[in-house]
Amino acid sequence: MYERRELMYAGHQACAGCGATMSMRYALKALGEKTILVIPACCWSVLAGPFPYSALQVPVIHTAFETGASTASGIKAGLEMRGDTETTVAAWVGDGGTFDIGIQALSGAAERNDDIMYFCYDNEAYMNTGIQRSSATPFGTWTTTTPANHPKGQPKKNMMEIMAAHRIPYAATCTVAFPEDMMRKISKAKAIRGTRFIHIYSPCPTGWKAPSSLSVKIARLAVHTKIFPLYEVEGGERYNINVDPKNLPVDEYLRLQGRFAHLTDDEVHTTQETVDREWERLVKKALD
Amino acid sequence: MPEQIIFKREEDMPYLPITFGSMAWNKTGTWRYLRPKFENKISPCIEGCPAGQDIEGAMVLIGKGKILQAWDLFKEENPFPAVCGRVCFHPCESSCNRGEFDEAVSINALERFMADMASRHGRKPLGKREKRKEKAAIVGSGPAGLTCAYHLARLGYGVTVFEALPVLGGMLRVGIPEYRLPKKVLEEEIDQILELGVKAEVNVRLGKDFLMNDLKEYQAIFLAMGNHQSKSLGIPGEDTQGIMSGLEFLKNVNLGKAVALGKRVAVIGGGNTAIDAARSVLRLGSKPFILYRRTREEMPAFLGEILEAEEEGIEISYLVSPVRVIAENGKVSRLECLKNRLGPADEDGRRRPVEIKGSNFFLEVDQVIAAIGEEADLSPLPKKLGLKENAVLTDERGATRQKGVFAGGDIIQQPRTVVHAIGSGKRAAIFIDCFLKKKKWEGLFEAIRIGEQGTLSMKRYLQAENERASLSSKTVRLKDLNLDYFDYKKRKKMPKTQVAKRVGSFEEVNQGYAEETAVAEAKRCFNCGVCNLCDNCYIYCPDVAILKQGEDGPNVIDYDHCKGCGICVEECPRDAMVMEEERR
Repeated sequence: MYERRELMYAGHQACAGCGATMSMRYALKALGEKTILVIPACCWSVLAGPFPYSALQVPVIHTAFETGASTASGIKAGLEMRGDTETTVAAWVGDGGTFDIGIQALSGAAERNDDIMYFCYDNEAYMNTGIQRSSATPFGTWTTTTPANHPKGQPKKNMMEIMAAHRIPYAATCTVAFPEDMMRKISKAKAIRGTRFIHIYSPCPTGWKAPSSLSVKIARLAVHTKIFPLYEVEGGERYNINVDPKNLPVDEYLRLQGRFAHLTDDEVHTTQETVDREWERLVKKALD
Repeated sequence: MPEQIIFKREEDMPYLPITFGSMAWNKTGTWRYLRPKFENKISPCIEGCPAGQDIEGAMVLIGKGKILQAWDLFKEENPFPAVCGRVCFHPCESSCNRGEFDEAVSINALERFMADMASRHGRKPLGKREKRKEKAAIVGSGPAGLTCAYHLARLGYGVTVFEALPVLGGMLRVGIPEYRLPKKVLEEEIDQILELGVKAEVNVRLGKDFLMNDLKEYQAIFLAMGNHQSKSLGIPGEDTQGIMSGLEFLKNVNLGKAVALGKRVAVIGGGNTAIDAARSVLRLGSKPFILYRRTREEMPAFLGEILEAEEEGIEISYLVSPVRVIAENGKVSRLECLKNRLGPADEDGRRRPVEIKGSNFFLEVDQVIAAIGEEADLSPLPKKLGLKENAVLTDERGATRQKGVFAGGDIIQQPRTVVHAIGSGKRAAIFIDCFLKKKKWEGLFEAIRIGEQGTLSMKRYLQAENERASLSSKTVRLKDLNLDYFDYKKRKKMPKTQVAKRVGSFEEVNQGYAEETAVAEAKRCFNCGVCNLCDNCYIYCPDVAILKQGEDGPNVIDYDHCKGCGICVEECPRDAMVMEEERR
């Protein structure tokens, strides 16, 4: 059922229970070895290991924070000049490098519909630099820049909608608790030409103040509480929900994580309402 | 293991910072303070099976379509899967964790399915080990005696079985009707035991045809005569013609003797014998009705049997006790009865019937079958064996107070079921082997028992100490499972003969699974506590530290790189992994 060949080595530098490494492992199983990865500043800049080593068996280019998409576009152009149409060029970027710092490069590539894959592994804050909030951090979250007595007051930016608005051929969400769904979507995206956006929800036990053993469970709950629905958007218009959520209350998800420990009942309620409203919107689009 | 790369001179350095090697040299295992481990635990079904069959293992095999191998696994422990698959009260299913989730796995029907398949393929049990010179005598050829004979023969001993009746099988042969257990099914399993070289003498009754002292040439004796004596009703007119015990009736039917019943047949009692008798009466063309002195709640018969009897239209009157048999022309014609109400609970927890004075009424009957219980006849046994309350006393090995004499089945103090009898026969075989080989048996229990309910594993007994798989003493419960990995799925039903066809025919009622149904049903098993290579640990490991050893496993943990995050243990659906503190 699963590709047995491993393109990610053991010995990488991730924290125990890291969701970003699970994401990378599944992604490479689906992408195969004919892949070039572009990694701007993010956790994975460190995880892959210091010179002269790499934890990955595919070529990697480490690049500046805001340049994930543009570097990928450039490499793709270079490969095309050399007549290589086979190799997949994929940007592998954190949520800070996608939602905040790299959004102009990404928007530019998407607008040109450059033939690249763009992965955002989203752990909902700048984890590598010390857990600072990003625009992917959800409402009410503790981070080092939004302390518990002043947690984040804004909701998470809806990156999928921004990408769908570019009318790119394919955009999808996935997460580590549903590896088959993830690998299926990545394989499907790999076969499409143009800009393809994959939003991976990647738990971070360190930054979320959660036990390392619960990474997969938390990801599964994110889907079943509708906080992170699994869906795909084709051509920016055709929505398809892939996993039917069990419709669990958000509290079951929130209470496993220290970053939400300070939330009042009212704030939990607000989160529930927001989640329900967003879900209804999504269902409407899927039914359209 | 790749080495670290050291650049000694500036000239060794590349023009660009490119990769020269993998990170595998980085032993991230040193970060770990908790250590995951594969550890198989006890499935509640196996613990719940007095015969100790590896049910979980068989479910895996059936799920893969390896039906005959699954049968081999059962046959290692129990010579009677075809019998048990039909008549066992399946305590395994009451222990099944799936029962708390949706419905228990239909283990009993699957046992029957694999036995039927083995029969169609002419599969035989595995043969003997090295031949030994010692001999054992077995008194009684019921499930206990024949199980003991089977295991002793496979251990290499010469075995002779002495049976009082003209046929082998004990209660299985004469106490259980054809429609529940066809003779040819029983005979096939008995023949397999005889083919191992077990000798059998029939029509020889202990106390009448031979005595314990006549068995001196045998180094070990196993007593399993069963409970073949019916309790009497103790009411006036009991000796009238037209009154018969349930056991005697079933025995006559099973031995093919003609039984004249008349039209209306009252069956007295609420146990399995009463139900079996009533359903047999129906099949012989008479009209049975059951009289029971308590209510359905207190009935000792298995619920499934009661339901099938009701399905067949057999009337059961509750809270009724017979008090007098009235004869006409020397033959029973009426039964005087009293009505009861329920009083306080007995010492066994069931509420006691209390007669209602003046509630007498009369029933027209042509025949009365009294099935109010059976007991052992221990008169041929010497007192020094250790007897109490009409049972033979045994220790945890099944040994009596007399050296070399063991006992099992219904004559010892244990629940009177086929599967408990089989369990006691197996236990006796194990400890007779220890006795004859002068092996120390103290401490053996820890190595071969499965759980806390007395279940023993022959497979583990036969294994050398170093080849026995480690087995935790923990029994897995529903709360220990990760239920995110299981979906609700209804249990598959076994087809039955139509009710209209059952009257007047001893054709088997339950018809058995089709292969496709059986495979699907076996896949419902949670495989509690046992790794079935679902590969969740391998899939989710963020450190690529679970290594596959081909497709048939077992999976292995790369402790050089495992950081001890615990995801594998958390995501194991069946509690087959544990986390322990790292000792450094």
